[in-house]
Amino acid sequence: MQITDQMFNDWVRQHQRLLFGIAYWWTGSRTDAEELTQEAFLQAYRSRSSLRDLELVKGWLVGILRHCHSQMRRRTKSREEVSFDEMLYEPESRPTLSADALALHQSLEKLEERHRLPVVLFYFQDLSYREIAEALELPIGTVMSRLARARQQLHELMKAPTKLVLMKKAESR
Amino acid sequence: MSCEFYKSEMYAWRPGEDLPDSKPLLDHLATCPECAQWLANFSASDERIRQTFSAVPESPSLEAKIFAGLDYERLQKTPRRSTWRNWFLLPIAASLLVGITLGFGPWLQEARLSRQVATLLSQPPSAEINSTDQKQLLAWSAGALSGDAELPPALSNVEFRAASSLKVASHKAVLLQMKNEQRASLLIIDAQLTAENTIKSFHETAGSDSRWSDGRRTYVLLFQGSEQDMRVYMTQMGIVT
Repeated sequence: MQITDQMFNDWVRQHQRLLFGIAYWWTGSRTDAEELTQEAFLQAYRSRSSLRDLELVKGWLVGILRHCHSQMRRRTKSREEVSFDEMLYEPESRPTLSADALALHQSLEKLEERHRLPVVLFYFQDLSYREIAEALELPIGTVMSRLARARQQLHELMKAPTKLVLMKKAESR
Repeated sequence: MSCEFYKSEMYAWRPGEDLPDSKPLLDHLATCPECAQWLANFSASDERIRQTFSAVPESPSLEAKIFAGLDYERLQKTPRRSTWRNWFLLPIAASLLVGITLGFGPWLQEARLSRQVATLLSQPPSAEINSTDQKQLLAWSAGALSGDAELPPALSNVEFRAASSLKVASHKAVLLQMKNEQRASLLIIDAQLTAENTIKSFHETAGSDSRWSDGRRTYVLLFQGSEQDMRVYMTQMGIVT
């Protein structure tokens, strides 16, 4: 199947916001999300011949994003450094986020990666179990059990706001 | 089966997307008001989480960055026909490579560092000013930050030649170029960084940094070179940490 540059450019315009959003909630960092999205499109372009069905382009891109995310995690795991955006978790310096968004960021941070990845796809993109399974290359049963556990944990974490979230809620009143 | 069992089932359930064995669950919900109420609360909370997920920050320059990367990739992949001219040009290409390695190396490194700093700073400068008048530069910087732009005592001897206003994540920031040292600049951020925050992108490109805080702002000396070179520069300028 011939994928022209024009076709690929259209996919960038259609899906860059989606990939950036997923990467943003996976990493909790705007800078990392931008880097990840750029890398995913570059890798997708290089391996565009591997796309078997044009109807599946969204899931294919999300799968490549997940692969780039794993690579990024491996690269950063060995370092103690944190990104600039991570300073935004400090109480005095995350003024633009709502209390709910702050709580969500903090809750996602506490989830294990195997739960965080599907739960973001579930809520942010409203992907079906099957689409999530394809993007994460997992059996559908595994996705369902992980999502059930992830949603339970997320609801519990969101119900128990941290001191910082309470401060934020008090500020907004 | 118990209500607890059905609640655990409901965590996996998405209305409209039937589980293979969702009929017992639906039957139970029809007969158990407590579980029906629990599901109503859960669904409301779920919807709130879904709404929160939609709050993603804007990234206006992302599309341009992606296309810039793709353009570069396509340029690299453009097929070239092998002709006698290629062989003729080989010695010239080799000479250029040596020239680049020896002569343009530092320039290329600087260009790469500039890109990294631009990435680090999230956005390109929104405004710039060239001046060697310290008062003018600091007054301009005060306008770009929230309030005055006085320097901490440790940096009082430093002189500048230009300033740019930027944003680091959501914070106002100013990048001041040092007057007599191309490799150094001072980043002032309207936010407090914790001690363990390091500038990841900058360190990856062999840059060094040193920082000060006055409790309200963070001042970061960005240096394109080793830690040792930065210390030498700081000693020369009378900058103390």
